[in-house]
Amino acid sequence: MPISRRQMLQRSSAGFGALALASLLTEEACGKTVSHLPHHTPKAKRVIFLFMKGGPSGVDTFDYKPQLQNADHKPYPFEKPRVQFAPTGELLASPWKFKPYGESGIPVSELFPHVAQCVDDLCILNSVHGTNPAHGGAALKLHTGSDTFVRPSMGSWINYGLGTENNNLPGFITICPTLAHGGTKNWGSAFLPAENAGTPLGVASQSSEQAQVKYIQNANLTREAQRLQLNLTQSLNRDLLDSTGPHAELEARIQSFELAFRMQMEMPAALDLAAESQTTHQLYGIDESVTADYGRQCLMARRFVERGVRFVQITHSNTEVQWDQHGNLRKGHTQNAAEVDKPIAGLLTDLKSRGLLDDTLVLWGGEFGRTPTCQGAGHDGRDHNPEGFTMWLAGGGVKSGIRYGATDDYGYYAVENKVHIHDLHATLLHLLGIDHKRLTYRHAGRDFRLTDVAGHVAHEIIA
Amino acid sequence: MNTTCLSYYAIIIAIILGHVPTQVMSDDKTSDQEIQFFETSIRPLLLKHCTDCHGADSQESDLRLDSLSGMLNGGKAGPALLPGKPEGSLIVTAVSYRDNDLKMPPDEKLSKQEIADLTRWVQMGAPHPDADLETASRRPTQHIDIAEGRKHWAFRPVKKPEVPSQGNNPVDAFISRSQQLQGILPLGPADKRTLIRRATFDLIGLPPTIEEIENFVNDNSADAFEKVVDRLLDSPHYGERQARHWLDIARYADSNGLDENVAHGNAWRYRDYVVESLNQDKPYSEFLREQLAGDLLESGDDYELRNVRLIATGYLVLGPKVLAEVDGNKMEMDIVDEQLDTIGRGLMGLTLGCARCHDHKFDPIGNDDYYGLAGIFKSTRAMETFEKVARWNENPIPTTADIAKEEQHTAIISAKKEEISTLIASASDELKPPTGETLPADVEKRFPEETQTQLKLLREELKTLESNAPVMPTAMGVKEGTIADTAIHLRGSHLTLGNVVPRRFPRVLAGDQQPEISDNRSGRLEFANWLTDGDHPLTARVMVNRIWNWHFGTGLVPTVDNFGLQGTPPTHPELLDWLANRFIEEGWSVKAMHRQIMLSDAYQRSSGFDSQNAENDPGNLTYWKFNIRRLKAESLRDAMLAVSGTLDPELGGNLLEVKNRDYLFNHTSQDKSTYNDIRRRSLYLPVIRNHLYDLFQLFDYTDASVLNGKRETSTIAPQALLLMNSELITDLTTSMAQDLLRQHTSNEDRIEELYLRSYGRAPDEQEVERVVQFLSQFEKLTATNDEAEAHAWQALCQAIVSSSEFLYIR
Repeated sequence: MPISRRQMLQRSSAGFGALALASLLTEEACGKTVSHLPHHTPKAKRVIFLFMKGGPSGVDTFDYKPQLQNADHKPYPFEKPRVQFAPTGELLASPWKFKPYGESGIPVSELFPHVAQCVDDLCILNSVHGTNPAHGGAALKLHTGSDTFVRPSMGSWINYGLGTENNNLPGFITICPTLAHGGTKNWGSAFLPAENAGTPLGVASQSSEQAQVKYIQNANLTREAQRLQLNLTQSLNRDLLDSTGPHAELEARIQSFELAFRMQMEMPAALDLAAESQTTHQLYGIDESVTADYGRQCLMARRFVERGVRFVQITHSNTEVQWDQHGNLRKGHTQNAAEVDKPIAGLLTDLKSRGLLDDTLVLWGGEFGRTPTCQGAGHDGRDHNPEGFTMWLAGGGVKSGIRYGATDDYGYYAVENKVHIHDLHATLLHLLGIDHKRLTYRHAGRDFRLTDVAGHVAHEIIA
Repeated sequence: MNTTCLSYYAIIIAIILGHVPTQVMSDDKTSDQEIQFFETSIRPLLLKHCTDCHGADSQESDLRLDSLSGMLNGGKAGPALLPGKPEGSLIVTAVSYRDNDLKMPPDEKLSKQEIADLTRWVQMGAPHPDADLETASRRPTQHIDIAEGRKHWAFRPVKKPEVPSQGNNPVDAFISRSQQLQGILPLGPADKRTLIRRATFDLIGLPPTIEEIENFVNDNSADAFEKVVDRLLDSPHYGERQARHWLDIARYADSNGLDENVAHGNAWRYRDYVVESLNQDKPYSEFLREQLAGDLLESGDDYELRNVRLIATGYLVLGPKVLAEVDGNKMEMDIVDEQLDTIGRGLMGLTLGCARCHDHKFDPIGNDDYYGLAGIFKSTRAMETFEKVARWNENPIPTTADIAKEEQHTAIISAKKEEISTLIASASDELKPPTGETLPADVEKRFPEETQTQLKLLREELKTLESNAPVMPTAMGVKEGTIADTAIHLRGSHLTLGNVVPRRFPRVLAGDQQPEISDNRSGRLEFANWLTDGDHPLTARVMVNRIWNWHFGTGLVPTVDNFGLQGTPPTHPELLDWLANRFIEEGWSVKAMHRQIMLSDAYQRSSGFDSQNAENDPGNLTYWKFNIRRLKAESLRDAMLAVSGTLDPELGGNLLEVKNRDYLFNHTSQDKSTYNDIRRRSLYLPVIRNHLYDLFQLFDYTDASVLNGKRETSTIAPQALLLMNSELITDLTTSMAQDLLRQHTSNEDRIEELYLRSYGRAPDEQEVERVVQFLSQFEKLTATNDEAEAHAWQALCQAIVSSSEFLYIR
């Protein structure tokens, strides 16, 4: 017997929307196997990933190698990797001076004077390694765990596992991402339900001033006029729902329009940096031309995590590959570091003073590091190096003021307490209260994980 | 073959199967000296570097290296040791640090001497004092049971089930039986307006015109709907819509994606080939043979046919590739793997890719079955070079006109050359060198100035001609490569090779005795023939299930790309087999299959609601109603173009503006893929991997990197944002509003036309009243604006095309 609109509404009562949406989510996931999350008490609730596109050099920044400093122009005494991106020559000592900072006394190069002041908050991983020596493969590996197949990005997995804390904003935002080297795959959801994909704001070739969610504003209608129009759309939507009987998807559509309308208000508010004090702007270096662009991104990141966004990635990439100094290392790395040093220190300081650093995990690094051996003319360049490189973590339940793992005496291979990209992912998930082996999704006949069949949690770095 | 040799092979075979007779290690050839070597050089090495993690106290990856059985049995990655075969022994791979994913010991590489010793020991056959004791402690390696596997429903031959009771359409006979069994009373037929909208979107991906609707509504003949179906099947737009289904399965894209996102400048030829093949209703078997082995089919002197078939093989080349992969061998096997995954799931519903690193965990597909097929595709040339940045293969596809043009051009060049040499000869003669002397090398400098100028001019003309040779068209595609069988890649790595397996098809389907593929053929044509011989249990089942899914939004086997043990079994197994048989009997005609399905009551049913049925069969597995479903991304855009009156119906061709093999995105992130001003059908918008068109991305378009037989339907806020705020929707609805305002003078007529175009029906009184009220309220809000009426109409049109009734097929 067909059901009338009235009967249906009565039967469904007030809770229908939520029920429908819930059932829609499980229906859509079709084979969703997330067991109750979190799996254990989380140390971190959200992540900010400071992605240094192109691959910053470890031995010139956070991986001090005294022996390298004395071996300039000498041959690298060990075997070079079987697969290299390009041939390299003799060793190139770091052109920058290092000195110890803070109570921990960890040496940091003069490229990062501001971040160095925060060194007691950092957990520096000197032994990260991946597998792919080319930008595209390495970026995909870092973001998705696979350089061969299309897989969900880590932000999507985290968003899928934990959801957003703010229903008016996406759970995963990526600011000024690069469209090259994997492009959208680096924030895509692959086979995970679409709502888990990263929402991009702007692209790498644009200034962060223009970074905005697409279609967030209507160019022609006032809010009042648009509300009137939306009321009509929604009454049409309800008409169809009434004629079809209960239908989760049609109900969810009605809700999605309301959410979109609210997002139109919430997003500009989140991005309104003018609401911040001048002191804050100065702290992030937004008042200086060199640091303004990345400073804005850092401040946006803080405002998003403050509002409950689960995973925020901010990319440092200009119209070239930013940190990719096969030549002109001195000039390039000096310029790059100057652009991000103060903003990153500002972000760490700000998060800390607001009490956000305790449960916000900050991750810094590129898709790989650079060789200690030299490349190109003028003894002034380094090649890609996935064999051993440096990333660092801060906040979110990791030990602070430590260096973990080590590369060999010259900084080429990770040799001690090695952290593979899969291990890094396992550790990130662990800090967020997720067992990387249990966060799975059934697709094409099997359960997939961010860490595939690998990954060990680096328990030693957890506070 | 002597007995020693025989037993050697027996041992090799036994090793493959995991039954290693341990005598091989302990036969009397194992000298004390060899044992001594183990005790002095190998055991200490294992103790020092390995057994802390792989020994009595700790067994990382389930591996123990403190006993021979531990090494032979291996751990999660498979056996660590194949006696006598260092290149196939993971322990040697691990210590040699050749494989980036498997380097042991993890912290420090062994010394060169230690690596050499270990390799030598394995080469010697792994002499070990415990060899005699091992028989008892060997556990059999996991080994798939092919005979048992053949019992799975999808691997058994297609049956010829009897049609249950009489009825007009056997489809309904099978469906009714399942309904009766569950006490389900199906809904009646959908009303005619709903039905023609459903059928038109299904077959041509566009809304019916007002005229088409009225014709159908007024046609009271018994075969009125049949006529509609036939008209739609004959439409050239049929191929455009259906091609998109196939392109999802062929993971079609106009760019490579992955790491080096370069343009597939000739991919569109393959897309147009698919459209034309479907419009011609080319038998599905032929369609597959052309795509898998078009280059090997005999086309005689028929250039056109030969070219079409070369274009068809683009299917094998369209996949995403890591073109900057530094390791060429790895790239080659990754490409073969991508092809096998696409072919396996796309054509057979088999997740073949799972057997790349190990035996399939669920299906009866062995690691050796995988490499039997991999040999076929490794013997096929899909790449011009593996050197980074690698280049895929393209085949020349000149038409007779192209060839004539080229010949003509060659003739002009020869003539020009002739002219030059004649001039030189005559000018040289003029110089008349003394008899017996040869002309000096710089003779031309002695030519009169006038001749020199003329010569210079002629040479410039020649140069221009040579650099302006007519470009011969090429198409992505394959040809035969270096024919060879392939070795099993242990753990999927090209650095640890196991035994070579002959090129052949999976045993579970093709049997244990298979004809050998000859040494001068890759085996692709044999593979294509085997797939389409009519006896293959999967080819027809998988395809009819896909067609069913295109019409009902769900397959009889819901997991359309997986018919293996992890797939969902068919809800109506007999119907599936009946359709599969019918498909083959009708000469693999896809159009006949559409007809068969669409003329059933099941397809023409109402999408209404029934609380009793909803309770008994909430998932509608018995097809008691028609499932409501959202338009696919491209139909959504096409429908908006159509109702706004701006659709450009031109067929075929290339819209990609980036040159073949040029970067879509280089390091600069500059976006060269915007389509806001294009009004062609969505099918023709270039599909850029890693950067799909927004509207497509948001409305669950296929990812285009991996085949996808069934798109998801997500409902997310960014879709609403696009409908509310995008320039495209504003532009289209502005055109639509202008059109309505121009065509009619009264608001009532305009509203009626708006509803007819968009929803295929006229509005009722209440609806008209609501719209009129909206227009007046909206105009009031924008009263200061001169174009208040136009704006109000634009806003109205936008609301209509954003609404569920427009976006959903009922």
